[in-house]
Amino acid sequence: MNTPHSNRAWWLLVPSLALMGFVAVIPLLAVFNYSFHDVFTVNDAYWIGLEWYAEIIGDPSFWASFGRSALFSTIALSIQVPLGVWLALLLLKMNRFAVPVLMLVALPLVVPWNMIAGMWLSLINPEIGLAGKALAGLGINFDYKFTAVHTWIVIVLADTWHWIGLVVILSYAGLSAIPEPFRQAAAIDGASRVAVFRHIELPRISGALSIVILLRFVDSFMIYTEAFAINAGGPHDATTFLSLELAADIGSYTYGRAAARAMLNVLIVLTVAWTFVRIRSSERTR
Amino acid sequence: MSLRGLIMRIVVFAFLGVFILLPFVQTVLLSFTLTLPRDGYEVGSLTWLNFLEVFKRPDLRASIFNSLTYVSLNIFLCLSAGLPAAYAIARYRFSGDRHVLFALLAFRLTPPVVLSLPVFFLFAHFGLINNPVGIALVHCAFNLPIAIWILESFISAVPREYDETCFIDGQSTPGFFFKRLIPAIAPGIGVTVFFCFIFSWVEVVLARILTVTAGKPITMAINALYRFQTDIGLVMAMTVVSLVPGVAMIWFVRNHIARGFVIRT
Repeated sequence: MNTPHSNRAWWLLVPSLALMGFVAVIPLLAVFNYSFHDVFTVNDAYWIGLEWYAEIIGDPSFWASFGRSALFSTIALSIQVPLGVWLALLLLKMNRFAVPVLMLVALPLVVPWNMIAGMWLSLINPEIGLAGKALAGLGINFDYKFTAVHTWIVIVLADTWHWIGLVVILSYAGLSAIPEPFRQAAAIDGASRVAVFRHIELPRISGALSIVILLRFVDSFMIYTEAFAINAGGPHDATTFLSLELAADIGSYTYGRAAARAMLNVLIVLTVAWTFVRIRSSERTR
Repeated sequence: MSLRGLIMRIVVFAFLGVFILLPFVQTVLLSFTLTLPRDGYEVGSLTWLNFLEVFKRPDLRASIFNSLTYVSLNIFLCLSAGLPAAYAIARYRFSGDRHVLFALLAFRLTPPVVLSLPVFFLFAHFGLINNPVGIALVHCAFNLPIAIWILESFISAVPREYDETCFIDGQSTPGFFFKRLIPAIAPGIGVTVFFCFIFSWVEVVLARILTVTAGKPITMAINALYRFQTDIGLVMAMTVVSLVPGVAMIWFVRNHIARGFVIRT
């Protein structure tokens, strides 16, 4: 495509850059600065170099949280992405009936994040909840407060319920943009459904899927609101994720360590994102 | 579509419907149930009282107003800053454009909880605490990149000749943006509004840290209802009220959300 080269286009970016500078760049630089200090108040901070980083990296509980966050992300992505893409594929031939389904899956996206936990907890409450009563009726002792596996199930279910809509909507958007002749040509060549998906559809929705995977990765890796509201990291830290540790540091006013932790989290997230983007662009040029 | 395919779709989407709607059904049921004892009423009976109370209590009423204010302001900011940026990215190459795109992605992926602490100090310095303007500004950190991506993909779909014709016709630059470009990408504006809304209306971490004593949005008003003896019916009534703008939003963009967005890198 012959897009003209003009550095005057930078002027059009000025409002966005100013806004991002104020709400994202300055705060991020401030976190970076705090992370090398022992912060008592904003005006009373002592330079301590890399001490916080050394303390956190040397702390086994950081690595345990890291492992739990990574595990949660893996579970969430490996359920939500294939499920969402599959649902989008099913929706593809439904024409105007696709719209009601898209509206349905979009519903959980507009629920305030702190109420997602509230809605699920009342649903599984054995006294007032529909699912809770049913489980109790079946004689299943579902105890999300004290059984770690049950807490995990609730968080994974609630997270899947919350975000499956985003995966379906964006995959459907990618899939429905593929011109029908591509599929017809493949069908004439006798390609199987799987082969059509692998060689025709997947490459063409990779742009839409990338953003889904990246967004789902960060939001699940840094899950905070749902996890905290469901069981506050319990039982026995079984659902203490990286963001819950970070929030605990902020809550206890150890700002320096909180900042170092925050920088480490950003570093992990951006390394994964950068690697992902690099792999994708090298695949495209090949 | 074969009969087998049709039956499978019906079964799958029925399951999906139950899974998605079950928590909503629970919420709506509880919102119409009296859950704390009150004079002359029996606990567990069907009632309108929870909804009456939502509209009677000044703190809850104010929170609805606060949420609507900051979300509208956030959408306005994202659109007015995002539109020229998206236009630049869609229509021109310029030195450092790839870096701008990666920076946008990086900031979209920066977890809000990371920014919460300095944002509080910075905004306190400018008097933006307890103020819907503060929340509207800080939510741009993750909404502006999304707005730029969506608008960029819609602008790219408009042929360049369209712009050139408009300028030959003697449109000024602002005239072109408002009278020609925005009508041409109206569905894109709708989709942008929808995605900005779903990430801003529901956000909790930054909204909490920026509202200490006043200006609380709906999410924080609901949190404040949790206490030793929580009136869960009232909480659920408030939740149902908080869903209304979102459901309206889904209805308005229902034919366009399927356009979605991709990242540009």
